[in-house]
Amino acid sequence: MAEEKKKRAITRLESSALVRPLVNKMYMEGTLAGMEERPVAWSMVNWWEGDIIMRAMGVTPVYPENYGTVCAALGIAQKYMGVSVAEGFPTHLCGYAQNTIGYTTEMKREGKVPEGAPMGGMAQPTFMLSSEGYCDARFKWFQSLRQFWNVPVWTLPFPHPAYTDTSLQDVHKVNVEYMAVELQGFIAFLENLLKKKLDRDKLETMLDNQEKVLKVWWEINELRKAKPCPMHARDFWTMMVPCYYLAYDPETLTVYQQVYNEVKARVDNGIGAIPDEKYRLIFAELPPWHSLGFFDKLAERGWNFATESIGYHPPPPMELNGGSDLLYRIARWTYWQYINTRYRAAKMGYPAVGAAQPFYNWAVEYKIDGILTHPLVTCRTATFWLTHWMNVLRDKLDIPGMSIQGDIVDLTVFDAATALNQAPAFEESMDHFRKVRKSKGLDW
Amino acid sequence: MSSKGLAKAEDIYANRAGRVRELKAEGKKIMGYVCAYPPLEMVTAMDYAPIRVIGSMDQPITKADTQVASIICPMLRSMLDLGMKGKADFFEGFIGAHTCDCTEKFCHLYQYNVQFPYYHFLDVPHIAHKASFGFMKAGFQLFQKTLEAHTGRKLDPDRLKEEVKKHNAQRALVRELYALRKQDPPLLSGSENLQIMLSLLSIPIEEGSGMLKDIIAEVKARKDGPKKKAARLLLWGSPLTETSIIDMIESLNANVVMDDICTGTRHFWHDVEMTSDPLDGLAKRYLDDLKCPRTFRETTSSFEEDQEVRFGYIKDYAKEWNVNGVILQSMKYCDTHGYEVPAIKAYFDRLGIPSLYLEHEYTMVALAPLKTRVEAFIEMIS
Ligand code: SF4
Ligand code: SF4
Repeated sequence: MAEEKKKRAITRLESSALVRPLVNKMYMEGTLAGMEERPVAWSMVNWWEGDIIMRAMGVTPVYPENYGTVCAALGIAQKYMGVSVAEGFPTHLCGYAQNTIGYTTEMKREGKVPEGAPMGGMAQPTFMLSSEGYCDARFKWFQSLRQFWNVPVWTLPFPHPAYTDTSLQDVHKVNVEYMAVELQGFIAFLENLLKKKLDRDKLETMLDNQEKVLKVWWEINELRKAKPCPMHARDFWTMMVPCYYLAYDPETLTVYQQVYNEVKARVDNGIGAIPDEKYRLIFAELPPWHSLGFFDKLAERGWNFATESIGYHPPPPMELNGGSDLLYRIARWTYWQYINTRYRAAKMGYPAVGAAQPFYNWAVEYKIDGILTHPLVTCRTATFWLTHWMNVLRDKLDIPGMSIQGDIVDLTVFDAATALNQAPAFEESMDHFRKVRKSKGLDW
Repeated sequence: MSSKGLAKAEDIYANRAGRVRELKAEGKKIMGYVCAYPPLEMVTAMDYAPIRVIGSMDQPITKADTQVASIICPMLRSMLDLGMKGKADFFEGFIGAHTCDCTEKFCHLYQYNVQFPYYHFLDVPHIAHKASFGFMKAGFQLFQKTLEAHTGRKLDPDRLKEEVKKHNAQRALVRELYALRKQDPPLLSGSENLQIMLSLLSIPIEEGSGMLKDIIAEVKARKDGPKKKAARLLLWGSPLTETSIIDMIESLNANVVMDDICTGTRHFWHDVEMTSDPLDGLAKRYLDDLKCPRTFRETTSSFEEDQEVRFGYIKDYAKEWNVNGVILQSMKYCDTHGYEVPAIKAYFDRLGIPSLYLEHEYTMVALAPLKTRVEAFIEMIS
């Protein structure tokens, strides 16, 4: 019983349970498409840039990255990583990529979805869709899978402008136009491969839905600024999945609206995601999918994670101007998702710390007491800025930070016991800095 | 600097920063840059001496650890460390580039920590589609704009064309130098060659071209070149900023006769085409001709063809320099090279050229275990 009670230290949103069937549906669709020999694409998360176009053309995307989280959570990723290493891939590569490489090797060896693959496995791709966005793995990974799958790889562009105001303004038009032109190229690639035309009306309907999904998902996260925070990071990680993979789907919109209602009701009634919120924290960046129970242990100590994972948050309402053409609309959203924080950084007058700006703003807006970072052995992208973010929060806002070593996939690196041992000292530090902030006139 | 030819390259290699400080004292304006992607023709056309920012394998990283985790490219960490210790204070400006993900982030962090008076970040696309060239060119136009704003003067297109010619002339000299390693034994060792390349990355273009001419004449006439050895090796991979790995290989029964690294051929090999708007030629050269795993190459109808598109030029090197083995090396935590390893290895297997993959930590101390493996490899191929 005591065990049972401990597991409930975080009061999960009831509506978060609605997400599971959506995710199951997504996996089922992939399996069915494979069985029925309909086009399947292995796709990287591409921040709404290419998925919606594929969907409008009747392609079913399958997401090896998300499959990596599933395999990690179920403990099978370790085996696939071993296979990847045996194939000659270095051990420091992205854990999700290693998982996919191992899975693919097994699939080729067995001639079918490998025995024991969770969620029905991933169907063989008709093509693979890479993205330049965020990390190098997003295009190198599928390029390296080319030795297993004799199918084309298409790479979507993703500009990486500097942080300064001038260059952002200067390159904005060029960047969005470039992305839109490239989307036209992507459509031509698909039309040629699938021997069919894009249905633009269908695309427009999906896009309308997607924009509504982004808006409500943004609003949900804004509600988390309330004290106590009504929604824990665990619910965020569960619920971000449809936003990234199923934003075109009207069911996603319905579910998110229900989530919104529930979170709003919690705010209105002063209900927090944990019973006794003593500390409000940021989690950066990707969570230990295999050990999420760790957060319940922290919740028992009164640690509530009010915000997290910048790369997976939806963009705020759009400030970018641009054309109304469908492809421009798509390009603008993806671009805005990536650079909105830079615009805000530039406006705040410390462009060189642009990378720290989202956390800086969040810390103020969400009244944060501490940041918990999770450096990952196999992901440089999600690890690079962590120390810098901690430094900026400490130096500019007197917010302390703590780190817990780990990995997205490799279970062996995560050391929950040490982190839990450090928790009391970190709480003292958070208490101390609360006083320091107050003495400096900050209001939390 | 009074030395000439090979001795001069050796001196500069041994004390890179010393030479840069001399240049500064002589009144030269110094511009730092990362990787092989910034268009140096535009930099020299604005009367700067472009000096590549590199790390150091033999200096421990102490300060950068307060800024960035240990799983990040050790060369970048070392560069940040040196910058934070005041060892980059001769740069008036710094040109960053989106070459790989870590480099992009490094550039912003470097600027944040070192604070150069001028900083420009070039956004280089990872794809080379038709529209990417326009994108690249627009990036160069923006670069021109910030350079002009910083210096308070316009970049003269005719001067830029002259600079393109000057850089192409240096590239031709580099190719001539590399050709001296086609014979057996090569006239120049791999270590000497890397010293020369690293020196070229540390001095103004005119000085570098003069040095190259002297070296070519000296090497052609020399009697004390490398000895004939069992293995003629090509070295592929992430940038080398010290000769230590090549020294280790050449201390064995092998000569390193050719390379595909970005402190070697990748940086210097291709000319810029003379186009009426020089930025067109520059965009093509830096985006497409420069071959580095950080750029995605379009897939074709088979994996074998893809390999040809991605690695065919290295096969040409292997043939022309008559190599009998390939060392694939990468520093740990370099993803762009890491993903490449099985495909490039399979490619050389198919060509019947044996290869060995070495992963290293970018420190001098960790090279001993690699030596045993290289020794076994050389024995196997010879
Ligand atoms: S961000 Fe990290 S975890 Fe995600 S795909 Fe890239 S390397 Fe992998
Ligand atoms: S060695 Fe690799 S990680 Fe380091 S800068 Fe070069 S491409 Fe990037």
